[in-house]
Amino acid sequence: MELKQNEIDILNCPLDYKAVKGSGCVRSNDVVVRVENLKKQFVLGGNTIQILKGINLDIVRGEFVILMGPSGCGKSTLLHIVYGLESPTEGLVYVDSESIWEHTKNWRAYFRNQFIGFIPQQPFWIKSLSVLENVAIPGFVNGRGYRESVERGYRALEVVGMKDWAHYRPFDLSGGQQQKVAFARSLLLNPKFIIADEPTGNLDQKSGVQLMELIKKFNDLFDITVLMVTHNPEQVSFATRVVKMVDGVIQNNTTDAAEMESIKQDA
Amino acid sequence: MLNLSNRRLTQVAKKESWGETHKGIKFMLILYIGFKNLKMGRMRTLLTIGGVSLGIGIITFLLCIGFGVQKMIVTEVTKNNPLDVIDVNNGNLDNFISLNDESIEKIENLDGVKKVERRVNTGGKVMYGESQTDVVVYGANQEYIELARVSYRLTNGNFSNGENKVLISDRLANLLGFSDPMEAVGKTIKYNIALTKEVSSTVTEEKVSNDNETEIVGIVTGDEGVFIYIPFDVARDNFGIDLAQNGKVVVGDMAKFDTVKLQLEQLGFLTESINELIKDIDSFFTTVRAVLVIFGIIIMSISVMGMLNTLSISLLQRTKEIGILKALGTRRFDIFKMFIIESIIISFIGGAIGLLGGYGLSIAVNYLLMYLGKRAGVELFYFVYMPSYFVVAVVGFIFFLGVATGIMPAFRAAKIHALEALRYE
Repeated sequence: MELKQNEIDILNCPLDYKAVKGSGCVRSNDVVVRVENLKKQFVLGGNTIQILKGINLDIVRGEFVILMGPSGCGKSTLLHIVYGLESPTEGLVYVDSESIWEHTKNWRAYFRNQFIGFIPQQPFWIKSLSVLENVAIPGFVNGRGYRESVERGYRALEVVGMKDWAHYRPFDLSGGQQQKVAFARSLLLNPKFIIADEPTGNLDQKSGVQLMELIKKFNDLFDITVLMVTHNPEQVSFATRVVKMVDGVIQNNTTDAAEMESIKQDA
Repeated sequence: MLNLSNRRLTQVAKKESWGETHKGIKFMLILYIGFKNLKMGRMRTLLTIGGVSLGIGIITFLLCIGFGVQKMIVTEVTKNNPLDVIDVNNGNLDNFISLNDESIEKIENLDGVKKVERRVNTGGKVMYGESQTDVVVYGANQEYIELARVSYRLTNGNFSNGENKVLISDRLANLLGFSDPMEAVGKTIKYNIALTKEVSSTVTEEKVSNDNETEIVGIVTGDEGVFIYIPFDVARDNFGIDLAQNGKVVVGDMAKFDTVKLQLEQLGFLTESINELIKDIDSFFTTVRAVLVIFGIIIMSISVMGMLNTLSISLLQRTKEIGILKALGTRRFDIFKMFIIESIIISFIGGAIGLLGGYGLSIAVNYLLMYLGKRAGVELFYFVYMPSYFVVAVVGFIFFLGVATGIMPAFRAAKIHALEALRYE
C-alpha cells in the first residue's frame, strides 16, 4: 500500500504498517531516538547538582519504553530533554537523525508540535475551550484552520472512546477521562512517538489500567513508539523495554521479559 | 535508518526548511481564543472594559463640548465677518488719512489684494409724511453691503449702485409709522445729509444738503440702529461725497494676509480682522483642551492600571495554560500575540463604548440644556461637535493603549519557560 506523504494518517495506516513522517506507511525496526553521552547539571544555591551523568540510550521504532527509578534519579529530566523542553549540559539527542538541540527554539517548538505526542502527569487545559477544541490545539498551533483541526480532534476523541464528551468543559471530566482526552490530543498530528510523564500518577488504579491499555493498544496497532516515565512497577507488564535509572545513570536497560519481571519485583 | 555519517549535511539542509513550515496559529484563531478567554473571566473583563470606557467617555464628553462651544463661537463671530477681509478705518486724529480714490488705488495695488470696498457715514434726516427723524446715513455700494453681510429683505426692485434707491433699518421704518417694516417698501421718502470736511474734500464748512426724494427698496433686519443706506455712487454724484471712513479690503491670497495688513497700517490706516479674534479664541480653547486632556490623562491612568492589573492576574492564572501551549509547540510570538490581542480587544471595546457613550451623553446634555433654556425663555444653541480627526485620534489612542498595556504581560508570557510554567502553583 502506498500513501502520498501528505496523506499519511496514523488512523488510516494498515495494521502491519506504521506511519512515519516523510516516508508514508512503512515497516521497519530502525532507531527512532538516540541519546549520546547526555549530561545535565543544575546550579541550586551555589551548588552544582549533576542530575544526568552520561546517558546513552537507543529506542527502536515501535517500542514501548518505560523509564523507572527513584525520585530524583533524573528520569523526568531525561524525558524533557528528549522532548526538547529542557536543554542538556552536554551530549546529543537524535530523533530520526535530527540532532534536536542543534536547532533553534522555534524549530524545537515545531518539532514537538509535529512529531511528538505529549501526555503530562496532570492534564493541562485551556479552560475557556471545550474538550474538542483542547484536543484540536496542536492543529491550531500548527497553522491549520479551526474546522480542519476540530474534525481531526473529533476523530481522535472517537478512537479513544471519548467523542460523547467533546462539547464538555475539560474540568467537568473525571481524572481518567481527562487523561484519555490528553492521549487523544497527543495523537492529533500523527506523532512519531509519544512521551508520557507519569500519565497515571494522579489516577486510581482502574483508570490507570484503562489508560495504559489504551496506550498499549495504539502502540501495538500502529507501532507508535512510546517513552513513558512511571513509578508504578505494575506497568512494566505493558513495556517492551524497561530502563531503570539510579542517581543519574542507567542501571539496567533490558528488553528481556525475565529481567523486566525481576525489575518489577525489585521495585 | 539513522545515518550518522551523513547527518551533519542533512541537518544543515533541514534546519531552514523545517523552520519555515511552522506557520503558527492563525490570526482569527488567536482572536477567537482571546474572546473565549475574556468571556471566561466575564466580571473582570466587564469591569476593565468599564474602566476604559469611563475614561474615554469622560474625555470624549468634555472635548465634544469644548470643540462644540469653540465652533459655535467661531461660527457666530465669522457669520458677519469673512475671514479674508481686513476692515480699515481712516486713522486717528494724529494720523488722519481718508479713503479717497487715490488711497483706494494704492490699496488695490498692494500685492495680494483682490478688491476694496468703502463706506461713508454721516448724519442726516429722513421725512415721510408728517414724520421726520434723525438718522445715520451710510453711503455704500452693493458689494460693500454684501461683504459686511448686512441682512436685508427686498420685495421687488433692487438696491443697485447707480440708482437712487435706499435701504432703511426696520427700526427706522417703525419710527416713520410702519408697524410692519415691510410696508415701507416701495414708499417714497425725503432725506438730507450733513456734509462735512470728513466726507467731502470740496466742502469748506459744514452744511446740510438739500432734500432729496428716493424710494425705499428694502429693509435691513436684525439691527437696532436707525439708519439708511444710499448707494455710494449716488452720494458722490448728488452730494459731492468722495471721502469714506470705513473700508473692506478683500485679500485674494491668504498667505499674504499678514503682509497686506502690515502694509495697510504703514499707509496710515487702522486695521481690524476677524482672524486675530479667532486666533485669540483658538488660543483660549487650546488652553482649555490642554487642561481637559491633562484631566483625561489622570482618568486614563486609573483605567490603564485597571487593565494592567487584569492582564497581569490573567497571566498568573493562565501560567499553566501558557506552559502546555508551549509544550505542544506554540511559538513564543504566538503567545505574545494572544496576550496583546486580548489587551487590544479590551481597549477597543472599552474605547468604542466610551467614544459613543461620551458623544451620546454630550448630545443628551445639550438637548436637556436647550429644553430647560426654552422653558426659561432663553434660546440656547446646539453646541456639541466631534471633529473627524478627534475620532481618528481616539481610535489611534485606544490602539496604542491596548498595545502599551498588553506589551509587558505579553512579553512576560512569551518569555516564560514551558517547564517553569507547567510547574507553576
